[in-house]
Amino acid sequence: MNKVITINLGGNAYQLEEGGYDALRVYLETAATRLAGNPDQEEILLDIEWAIAEKFRGLLGNHKNVVANREVSAVLAAMGPIEAEPGKTENPATSATPSGSRTSGAGTGPSGTAGTAGPGPTGSSGATPKRLYRISEDAMIAGVCNGMAAYLQVDPTLVRLAFVFLTFLWGSGLAVYVVLAIVVPEARSPEEKAAATGAPSTAQDFIRRAREGYYEAIKGFPDRQARRAWQRRFKREMRVNAHQWRSQWQHYWAEQATRHPGIGLALPVISLLQGAFNVIWICALVSLLATGAVLGVALPVNVPVWVGALLLLILYAAVAGPIKMARRACYWSIGQLKPGWSLWFLVEGVAGLVVMVALMGLAIHYCPVLREALHNLPTVFHQATEDVQAWWQAQGKESLTLPK
Amino acid sequence: MSVNEKFGAIRNGLLEFIVLQIIAVEKVYAADILKQLGNTEFATQEGTLYPLLSKMRREGLLDYEWKESEAGPPRKYYELTAKGREQLQATLEYWNQINATVKQLAQKQNAEEL
Repeated sequence: MNKVITINLGGNAYQLEEGGYDALRVYLETAATRLAGNPDQEEILLDIEWAIAEKFRGLLGNHKNVVANREVSAVLAAMGPIEAEPGKTENPATSATPSGSRTSGAGTGPSGTAGTAGPGPTGSSGATPKRLYRISEDAMIAGVCNGMAAYLQVDPTLVRLAFVFLTFLWGSGLAVYVVLAIVVPEARSPEEKAAATGAPSTAQDFIRRAREGYYEAIKGFPDRQARRAWQRRFKREMRVNAHQWRSQWQHYWAEQATRHPGIGLALPVISLLQGAFNVIWICALVSLLATGAVLGVALPVNVPVWVGALLLLILYAAVAGPIKMARRACYWSIGQLKPGWSLWFLVEGVAGLVVMVALMGLAIHYCPVLREALHNLPTVFHQATEDVQAWWQAQGKESLTLPK
Repeated sequence: MSVNEKFGAIRNGLLEFIVLQIIAVEKVYAADILKQLGNTEFATQEGTLYPLLSKMRREGLLDYEWKESEAGPPRKYYELTAKGREQLQATLEYWNQINATVKQLAQKQNAEEL
């Protein structure tokens, strides 16, 4: 026994089984959504309701009062999906009348503009100003990487990898991520989403050329397997290299340690040194972003701020790397690096990170300079992308003039 | 793009012209138009036709009047406006022109093959 629902279609009552009623409701709701923005939306919906009513009427008779589920499905299938824009026909039709309808232009004015004004709001994404937003669709965590990828017009995976890479630098990637997740607003409204991805043609061009270059390089390989094999070998070699380099360093320091038994004392000194250097580095970065000068020393006029920030980052990696190595070597020489040490590294890393995030949180609250630095961050970021894009475009123009 | 899709694009482009042609013959209501299209390459569903008809009316190509039906709700009978006729005429001419060009080019090819 099925439940029956009575509905009113075009002024007449019809009885539908419950499933059929649901299907009909979904169909009409979809139709209404598709026709959103169409000036004749209500009229078309009414037309459709009446057409459905007429089909139902054909199905019913003296001894049949209820439209069954499968009959509703069949009727809806016969109606077909609502095409919001049969306007595909618009261009051929208008271009087909180069001479004919010119004289009646006066009469068409109002209706013509009404037609084009309908889809206007949705189609006007031409010149949206770009802003950094978090994009939660397809996001892994809070959409920071996703938003940055949309902003920079690159693959989100690349941004995520960059953050993971930065996380190895004393957790700075993670810290930056947390700060961005708090500071950067989420794109909620359609306008904000458009602004988040707002793609000027130059940026799209940028991506297109980058892709083409990649595919050109890939084409050199005869087939997919060869390419895969090459990628695997490359990665393996990189890993082996890194490992060898690391172990050489550690052995070197370990040997030093056996010669100088007092190295156990060096450990806290090195740790303190690293902590101090981190603090100095962060201060330098903040002062650069806030005032454009590194701890009172101004950048040369023609060097943009983002280049300064990049240089600071490289400097940090160059100095912090060896310090970290030395510290590890100390551990190594003290305890010959038993498995237990890796747990200690983990605890130390997490603790350092928590302290840093907490410090940053406090600093943002109580230090106006830092707030200003964060405030300037999007501008610096924007300038960097624009500079890189300009450079890239110059490259593109050069390569265009080269014979292929 | 497959051949079928290309044909689909051509059909979509011509549908408005075909509908104009059908309405030009006599006053019809939507189900009549669908029935006449049903046996042709232009077989169409309500979901496509109603939005198209309303767009054409908005452009001033056609108009409708209500008529009571023996059974069920009243129906909209569509007819062409002067502008609609004018556009149909112009489209027909243009169509013939295109047709002639295609034929002419095809003949050229046939002649070369012989």
